[in-house]
Amino acid sequence: MAEQRSRRVRHTAVRGRIAAALTVVGLLAAACGPSSATAIAADGLERQPDGWHGLPVEHDRSLPEVTLEDVDGDQVDLGKDLLGTPTLLFFGYSSCPDICPIHLAAIGSAMGTAGVTFDELDVVFVSVDPERDTPARIEDFLANFDERMIGLHGELDVVEDALGQLDLGGPVVEGPDPRGEGDLIGHPAQVIGFDADGQARRTWPFGARRSDWVADLPRVVTEWS
Amino acid sequence: MNVAFWCSSTPGQIWTWRYTPFLGVWAVAAALVGGYVLAHRRAGRRVDRRLLRRWVLGVLALVVVSEWPIGQLGVGYLATVGIARYIVYTFVAAPLLIAGLPDWLVERWFPAGTRRERVLRSLTYWPIALLIFNAVLIGTHLPVTIDTLKTTQLGSFGVDVLHLAAALTWWWPAMRRAPAEPNAIEEPLRAFYLFASSVLMFVPAAFLTFSPLPLYGLYELAPPLWLGFDPLQDQQSAGIVMNVGGGFVLWGIIASLFLRWAADQQRSDERARRERDAATLERIRALEHDGDPSA
Repeated sequence: MAEQRSRRVRHTAVRGRIAAALTVVGLLAAACGPSSATAIAADGLERQPDGWHGLPVEHDRSLPEVTLEDVDGDQVDLGKDLLGTPTLLFFGYSSCPDICPIHLAAIGSAMGTAGVTFDELDVVFVSVDPERDTPARIEDFLANFDERMIGLHGELDVVEDALGQLDLGGPVVEGPDPRGEGDLIGHPAQVIGFDADGQARRTWPFGARRSDWVADLPRVVTEWS
Repeated sequence: MNVAFWCSSTPGQIWTWRYTPFLGVWAVAAALVGGYVLAHRRAGRRVDRRLLRRWVLGVLALVVVSEWPIGQLGVGYLATVGIARYIVYTFVAAPLLIAGLPDWLVERWFPAGTRRERVLRSLTYWPIALLIFNAVLIGTHLPVTIDTLKTTQLGSFGVDVLHLAAALTWWWPAMRRAPAEPNAIEEPLRAFYLFASSVLMFVPAAFLTFSPLPLYGLYELAPPLWLGFDPLQDQQSAGIVMNVGGGFVLWGIIASLFLRWAADQQRSDERARRERDAATLERIRALEHDGDPSA
């Protein structure tokens, strides 16, 4: 009887210790929760009912009617010069620590995997940071993903005009980059897909994974050319 | 200063070289070293410095790969570092911890005839240990597990605890010696046991190395540490780390254990032969002595 009681007391003590340890762990974990900078799901985009992973564009939009400069100094009229082949258009900046390099790396790599060439698809990067993004800097930045990507830059008001024509918000300074590389700039996080006639067809928000691009890129080429 | 309990992935968080202490790591380390010393004091035994050194080195290995920056890099940014953490947990920390355990302490923590001891015996029976180790290896490296559990501190802590527990279970029959350990295995079974695990480890390593797409969204969508090192390259290098750490290093261990066993066998054969020869000589001498009355 006494032995049973002592065993019960011992078990209760052990259970108490385990419960206390779990409580401490739980409290610590809850108290020190991570501060999320960009809420994204790691499982990529959901497949749409029509089989696309990119989201359909809700309103009719076409390539913006603006003229920018490429890294060689040539003028590029987006509304005219990009017609004839499907285009993926993305607004970003070369000092971007996350969205821009992740999107561009995914597109560059997925094109290789899906067997889509730069003759069949234009990938256009427009800088929203004219102060820091010199042509040489844009060229160096894009070379990290694929040097055949087209880098464009222009005055800030021209870039804002292009964004406005697509109903996208203008670039905003978000505060200092924690890496100590100047300011972070807020910019649209989606890639917009235009068909060969310059009509916007799909967008791929941040969170699109290579598997999403590998599924969609062959359709971009075959259905939008 | 930013403080956290355990390393976890915070989607979209830009990597900086600003120190973030993980309090849980220090708490676990203190509990492991403190518990070890306290157990000696309670039992009135002197700490064996050789065993203590092994135990502390095991704890140190855990701290190094769980604390900032390696813990954070491995859980949130680079698959290569993530796999390297697993390799250190499994092939460095776990064997050192077991090697640092005196037999009396095992008997104290798992008293004979108790339920705790029965659970230990069942889990460390080599086929069960092999199964547990590989189930944890495969299960915790599935994309869904990584992408879900490593985004919370508690989930990430749970995965690390599981890795260590599975590694301890797996090393137990291979490292503990009979007669103190009834589940201990000897050559050639031990070589087969370790070899089987190394072969099974090539399966996830092959998926990592040869997949044409990044498997883990967590690493694929993490802010890059530097441009030009693609998530796919990172994943391939993670596969190589698993191959080298889990495969070739383990084969090295197997080879050295096997060679030591072969040398032991040879030594014992030689000893037996020498004893036989000595006995034969003895008999001959005795016969000669019996046959020569003048001697």
